Amino acid sequence: MTNKDTWFNRYVNSLPTRGWFKLLSRYVVVPYWIWRDPKPKLPGGPRESPQPSENTQRMMNLIMPLKDPSPMGRAMAAMAIAQNVDEIFSGLDNVGTVHTARFLILGDNLCMISVYDGDFSNYIRDFIETIGSVFDAVISQIKGAEHMIPTCDHVEEFIEWVHDHDLFQAPDFPTDLFALQDAAKGLPTDGPAHEIMTLPRDLILQLHANPNLSLGGGYRSYPGYSAAQVRDKFGVGW
Amino acid sequence: MNKQVKKDVDIDAIERDVQGNILRSYSRHLVRHLMLEVTNVAAARRFLGVAANGGSEAVPAITPGSDWGKAKPPSNFNIGLTFEGLKALGVSRRTLQTFPVEFSQGMTKRAMKIGDFGDSAPDKWPAPFDTPEKVHIVASIHADEEGQLDKVEAQVAKAFTVLGVRDGRGLGRGKVFFGYKDSISQPRFKWVKDRTQATADEPLDPLGTILLGYPTSMEDMSFRVPYPDALGLNGSFNAFRILAQASYDYEIYLDEAADFLLKHKDVDLLLPPGAEKKVGKGLDRHAALREIVAAQMCGRWRNGTPYETSPDTMDPDPDVSPTNFDYSAQSRCPAGAHMRRANPRGGHIVQRIATYTRRLVRRGMSYGPDFDPDDFDRKNPDRRERGLLGNFLCANLGAQFEAVMCDWLNVGLQTPSITGTNDPLLGANTAETSRFDLTLPDNAGTISIYGFPRFVTARGGAYTFLPSLTAIRYLSEL
Repeated sequence: MTNKDTWFNRYVNSLPTRGWFKLLSRYVVVPYWIWRDPKPKLPGGPRESPQPSENTQRMMNLIMPLKDPSPMGRAMAAMAIAQNVDEIFSGLDNVGTVHTARFLILGDNLCMISVYDGDFSNYIRDFIETIGSVFDAVISQIKGAEHMIPTCDHVEEFIEWVHDHDLFQAPDFPTDLFALQDAAKGLPTDGPAHEIMTLPRDLILQLHANPNLSLGGGYRSYPGYSAAQVRDKFGVGW
Repeated sequence: MNKQVKKDVDIDAIERDVQGNILRSYSRHLVRHLMLEVTNVAAARRFLGVAANGGSEAVPAITPGSDWGKAKPPSNFNIGLTFEGLKALGVSRRTLQTFPVEFSQGMTKRAMKIGDFGDSAPDKWPAPFDTPEKVHIVASIHADEEGQLDKVEAQVAKAFTVLGVRDGRGLGRGKVFFGYKDSISQPRFKWVKDRTQATADEPLDPLGTILLGYPTSMEDMSFRVPYPDALGLNGSFNAFRILAQASYDYEIYLDEAADFLLKHKDVDLLLPPGAEKKVGKGLDRHAALREIVAAQMCGRWRNGTPYETSPDTMDPDPDVSPTNFDYSAQSRCPAGAHMRRANPRGGHIVQRIATYTRRLVRRGMSYGPDFDPDDFDRKNPDRRERGLLGNFLCANLGAQFEAVMCDWLNVGLQTPSITGTNDPLLGANTAETSRFDLTLPDNAGTISIYGFPRFVTARGGAYTFLPSLTAIRYLSEL
């Protein structure tokens, strides 16, 4: 296919907005490809990187389904946060590697969005070690998490659970998606190169497996600096 | 499945049940590690059953942790199993699921986290570590004579397929390559008598730092004990690492660093004129600067004297304790020094809650040809492979070994002044980006040195589970 501005190319490019094609895609094309080339759900959170600068200011988008999504249940979740928020925040202060953290009720979920430095498992383990007993009140509002209370006695399981409920972070370089999909399928890393034109299809199939995702790693105004380095510079103690 | 944490501890019973290389060091001259594949399950189980019950003429006994007193055995024999090894022996899926994820994934899948990329990447590891799924058991024989190693190896080879062998030895005077005296400071465990750590004043570590089923150093937190108790209790985990050490390159870098420092405007602050004689006997200015760099990079002078308590000389008079010191904001030991990164002791760190929680027991011996840092040929680079056969033991690889590797040795999150730099000795450095800050006396600031390559490269390894003797019997009866 050429990039010339011919009537045929214009027509092909307009397909995604045409009703008949949308219907065809939804009921035939996409289901066929999901059957033919299923993509495993990709793991959540930032990926490990050899770059020290990639190991600071990492994003966590933890999506926890509410046990009771009714207005009453939401109020219970809001209360679990409100009653414990001071302890949670002072606990995060003690963890020492956290830039920001906040809680949202979104859809039928309670979300914890945070920016932290270093290894994900260390962050969650230190968090539970610091305020696990308080956070258990929050976890008790979450569907499918009751068996991990008290969290300090189920720390390995809890870390895996959080990892599983942390949003997949789509790569900043779109074509990196191929390698992630191959790795998830256990395919060799040195296989034949993927055709760039299959990227949209692979992205659509991935969005079937991971309907919610973080679009890239996000913006950082001072990349490469840890929370402690920033605090140190401002003289507020670390 | 949790809460097996025991209140009353019968330490003698525990020592009889745990493998002998966990709580204490054997202090032998030689080691041989055998990488084994289970190809005949029945033969493997029979072997393990006999080995865990005191051995026989044809099968070596697993050495337990109890004190052998005067009846020192001619050799010691211990085993560690990989996740694949547990599978090969027929451990049920339900039981396998109770092992921690880092262990079930194995060392090669955790490579990025522990700094095994570039030349250290698992796809560059030689056999048998290029087929990690076949490495089922790492068996270790410690002895003082080679004949004993051969004898036990021959016995083992009758029950398992030997995929590979790595021999190690003590270099004498407790030294390892790079010329440092090593293994001076180790965790001390509550209830366990260890005369090598008798005078150390670091806080005692709870038994759960090293064994599964006991209180951990993380208050109220317990690590999951694999199910059933017969398999999990009194077990431990090991990061077995084959770490090549670039001795020649290290000495050449010390030359370059000393050349650089001699021309540095602040060199007289680091080493006042005439003070080189005090640093060590017979040293000129260049040689003294080399040793200062080596001492600050490690945290100890090469003879083992801590830099923190003796920053001016490697031979303090009166002598200083090799183990009893702590770090502070005024420390002379750089925050980036290897030893301080690996164990920040009671010093202030960013992750306050992690103080004293990421302790590791280190047991290692050297491999490869001799290298004398005091007498080597600078014109003919000797880059033959040599290094350390290291064992890093802990109750939880994720909370201890990996936690130290990914946030402290590399990245350096524990202190803002070193964040973004890697351990100068062990870190995943590249000459283009490496940096190390030497401290100056009287809080006069630092001198940064640059351009050092990665000195330690991973050449193989595996995460293994070190089962108790009860657990080895359990495995033999599956």
